[in-house]
Amino acid sequence: MPEHSVVFRTPPDGVDVVHAALESLWLQETTVDEMDRMMFETALIELVSNVIQHGASPTTTLCELALTADDADLTAVLVDSAPQPHIDFSPREMPDEFAESGRGLAFIQALVDDFDYRRKDDRNIWAINKHRAVTTK
Amino acid sequence: MFTSEIVGPHDATIRGTGKLNMVSAPALREAVLALINDERHNVVVDLSGVDFVDSSGLGALVACLKSTRQAGCDLRIAAPGKQVLMVLKLSNLDRVFPIFTSAEEAINA
Repeated sequence: MPEHSVVFRTPPDGVDVVHAALESLWLQETTVDEMDRMMFETALIELVSNVIQHGASPTTTLCELALTADDADLTAVLVDSAPQPHIDFSPREMPDEFAESGRGLAFIQALVDDFDYRRKDDRNIWAINKHRAVTTK
Repeated sequence: MFTSEIVGPHDATIRGTGKLNMVSAPALREAVLALINDERHNVVVDLSGVDFVDSSGLGALVACLKSTRQAGCDLRIAAPGKQVLMVLKLSNLDRVFPIFTSAEEAINA
């Protein structure tokens, strides 16, 4: 089961680290449907961007990201050292078309099947899971 | 990154490369505002070189659309790739932006 882990600090690192990690995963797990890849990547980047923007650490936020792919699912677990965020995880409707912000959480909820958060040992633990499309061969 | 090209007396094309996200979104805003100040009537954002757009990038596109419309101009999107089309549809912005398959088509529309 292909798995990729990456540790990064933000600042100075940004989402490019995550894009690169996903690229490595797709090179190894070549059967992932293109739409699944796009949806999973978009959701994960929204999550990481949120952590980067709202991390509120006075210095830097340490992030550990683990990506896994098996026959059924694509999974990402992100552990970060930022203070506990104040986020409403209830289901979101997509904002009005002319909104200039506020789509991140709605995107994640729309793009993946499971999005979970918990706080443990002074760490934020985020998990997203996407069921892979069933392909007939 | 974004480069601007003046096209004829009234139009301009902005070409993006790479990712349109929270890092690059301000540069897009600046490029569009500069063209509005230069009194361009039609601004085409050519996304053929953009392989990824996130919600920050979409927010910047929306802000640019509002700015151009307030100035009496038009903003059009050209050549979005698959991921870009996906997020445009997800956010219902495919109903808001005029979308063309190429920059030339967008300019001539």
